[in-house]
Amino acid sequence: MKVKVVTNILEANDRLAAENRKIFQDLGVYVINLMSGPGAGKTSILEQTIKATNGRMKLGVIEGDIAGDDDARRIESAGAPVVQINTGGACHLDANMIRVVMDDLPLKDIDLLFIENVGNLVCPAEFNVGEEIKVMLLSIAEGHDKPLKYPLMFQESTALVLNKIDLLPYTNADLEKIKRDSLSLNPKLKIFEVSCKTGQGISDWVDWLLALVKK
Amino acid sequence: MHEVSIVQGLLDIAIENCKKQGYKGIESIKVKIGKASGVMPDALMFAFEAMKPGTMADKAVLTIVEIPVSGYCNSCCSDFTVDDAYVTECPKCGNISLRTDTGRELNIDEMEVF
Repeated sequence: MKVKVVTNILEANDRLAAENRKIFQDLGVYVINLMSGPGAGKTSILEQTIKATNGRMKLGVIEGDIAGDDDARRIESAGAPVVQINTGGACHLDANMIRVVMDDLPLKDIDLLFIENVGNLVCPAEFNVGEEIKVMLLSIAEGHDKPLKYPLMFQESTALVLNKIDLLPYTNADLEKIKRDSLSLNPKLKIFEVSCKTGQGISDWVDWLLALVKK
Repeated sequence: MHEVSIVQGLLDIAIENCKKQGYKGIESIKVKIGKASGVMPDALMFAFEAMKPGTMADKAVLTIVEIPVSGYCNSCCSDFTVDDAYVTECPKCGNISLRTDTGRELNIDEMEVF
């Protein structure tokens, strides 16, 4: 006999993500799910953000990687509380992984928590982890074809940070095309051009974060 | 890429429903997968065949219905459906002010039980 089910397959994850979000909101922690391909500079922009914030808000970081704790060490050296998740092969973080580690952070003392997702332009966009917004990072060296090749990531994000902007003269990347295609996928996308190496654009990005958290 | 975790979720929901309603097993499961969901039907099918043995869905057949991306253009006020996994402009008038209605589905629709 036939049984109608009509359930979203990711429902269990979405339910857990909603619970995580409630916990974060009750503690007054604003959470950003930070996503990008490998090597775009997620950890570098977090280091720069911690430095540029200079105590104006308290940051915390959950690091997601397939293996290793290099990123967590870098964040610790930069001066923010951090906890490392090793997914052991999984291509994305999910809500349960966040639930398991959240108590290892001093959440009451954190205004803005970054969840640095596994470097991957596909899967992280599909799994909510309990964040308020998603932000994606794309480095200029990855090329201008990325928005139309990986549309979901651009559609799901509230902001796009274009990193390694200092490399623009040395590549064939068409910055205007990146912006045009990204905005056609997501007209409300807020775009930042930054360089973690030279510091260009970091203060605009940090001002935006401060305004988000104050709200 | 993560079709295994999708299939785990699918099996969990199907088996829970089957048990709750007092049936012995699952004969078939129908899922609706949007073309913009990021899930590849072939990989989903492969993961399902690999993971069903030893569960109540041991002999179950998976049917995947692909849902195209469709929506409404705010500029020319017409409905559209496209073949691609995403849409950046209205296929009729080219405007980018769109609302997408379908294509992101990742749903179990129905199943046959015994």
